[in-house]
Amino acid sequence: MIEIDWLAFVQVFVAALIASLLVVGFYAIAVRLLVRAGRVPVVAPAEFTDAITVISEKEARRAEKAAAKAAKKSPLTDGQKRLALVGAYASFGMCGLAVLGGLLLIIFGH
Amino acid sequence: METAALIVVLVIALALFFDFTNGFHDTANAMATPIATGALKPKVAVLLAACLNLVGAFLSTEVSKTISHGIINEDAISSSEMLPIIFAGLIGAITWNMLTWLLGLPSSSSHALFGGLIGATIVGTMSLSSINFGEVLGKVVLPAVIAPFTAGVIAFAATRLAYVLTRRYDGKPDGRDGFRWGQIFTSSLVALAHGTNDAQKTMGVITLTLIVAGWQSSSQEDPYTWVVFACAFAIALGTYVGGWRIIRTLGKGLTDVKPAQGFSAETATASTILASSAFGFALSTTQVASGSVIGSGLGRRGSTVRWRTVGRIAIGWLLTLPAAGAVGAVAALMVTWLGGWGVFIDAVLAVIIIVGLFLRSRKDEVNASNAMSEVADSGLAVKVKRNPPPTRRQRRIEREEARVRAEEEARAKAEAKAAAKAKAKADAKAAGERSKADAAAKGAARPAKGGDKK
Repeated sequence: MIEIDWLAFVQVFVAALIASLLVVGFYAIAVRLLVRAGRVPVVAPAEFTDAITVISEKEARRAEKAAAKAAKKSPLTDGQKRLALVGAYASFGMCGLAVLGGLLLIIFGH
Repeated sequence: METAALIVVLVIALALFFDFTNGFHDTANAMATPIATGALKPKVAVLLAACLNLVGAFLSTEVSKTISHGIINEDAISSSEMLPIIFAGLIGAITWNMLTWLLGLPSSSSHALFGGLIGATIVGTMSLSSINFGEVLGKVVLPAVIAPFTAGVIAFAATRLAYVLTRRYDGKPDGRDGFRWGQIFTSSLVALAHGTNDAQKTMGVITLTLIVAGWQSSSQEDPYTWVVFACAFAIALGTYVGGWRIIRTLGKGLTDVKPAQGFSAETATASTILASSAFGFALSTTQVASGSVIGSGLGRRGSTVRWRTVGRIAIGWLLTLPAAGAVGAVAALMVTWLGGWGVFIDAVLAVIIIVGLFLRSRKDEVNASNAMSEVADSGLAVKVKRNPPPTRRQRRIEREEARVRAEEEARAKAEAKAAAKAKAKADAKAAGERSKADAAAKGAARPAKGGDKK
């Protein structure tokens, strides 16, 4: 009689789902708060390899301009912006902690 | 005894070579998406992947235990029989890996290893009882089927979450470019997870060999430290030597992967592999990465699945285990029939395959036909519209804007009409007054004329 530990599959799914949603959720919140703080991240691609189509430098510059313009027009006060920035860094930190916690659980939990 | 020692050395060398080719092939799983989105330079990505594969190999030994103490009933087979069988199994795995690599067929290094070992053991012992089918089903076959779906569902949910949380309705920059930074971090996690799961498979094979040869006690489940180090370095070296050429090819198929999508896909891949490794499930990282790429593609608005591509990938996956098993079985047959000569012929074949692989990799021709491209194919399995349909909230905003616009137009029209009416009225009034004034002037002029007459 072959015995399958189905509960282990459920545990893997739940653990992976929670971990992924925590990491992606915190990171997305951090990006959103950065935008609110008037620091829209414009990250140009590292390299334009021949095999890959990505945004051009011109497009990146245009995006930077649009970000700066949007930041100027922000209706938030300086205090609110600072608070959003602190929230963004805290979210990045939570994201890192979620990963670290997961890794420690794997190393020491078994 | 000397022959046994020689076979043990050969098996270890072959297992480490398999580990090397595994790193060579699978770097792309970790680094294809960050390179496709431009998050990392190819060489930096490969170096990072190599370092993290090395670190990952030290994180857990559960998968190694599954292979060394679960799949094969070592007690039912004598050591003189078992060592050539493991050797034949590895030959089967490497041959199938190389064949699929040269033909550009979708395959999984892990399943090739399991297929080779299982096929060689069944044929070498001529008995099905030498395989622990419960363990094979529970720790290899079912995880292989379930894990890509798990990763796909998780990637779908994560992509949706990332897009919902960063969506803006006012048309201003949404900052999703920031996910490019995050991809450096998540692709590193995938590399770490790959090292954790895949390096352990070789550790398991070497530990099994040492137990069969009597060089390690069967009660000791963990691999020796030197085995862990050797496997970690072999996979890291393979990653560094061969990875970036394949990555360039893989990136080509993933041009439509956006940073937020890539970030979510990698997070889902890493979390699925790491959680599975903790339970001792021996997964194919290629399949999990492919499942995540498809799931994250579906998480974007307006995406549809190209089922033909999905079917082609799935058939490749299904074929790997039995095909590698068949090659392993042929290698084991030679050992069974020809004894020592069989091992010699297998060894010569292994050398030919290794030299062939080396010569093939020296050719500076990297394209979709000679590199493994499963993950890239997965990127093509989902068609995403360039202009996705608006969300419910965007539709509501658009309707509201259209209503406000229509109201403003109607108001402007009414105002213009009222203004025109008022002007017409004023003009008419002015004309009436003018005519009245004219009439009055005429009236005044008439008596004056009469008076003159008088």
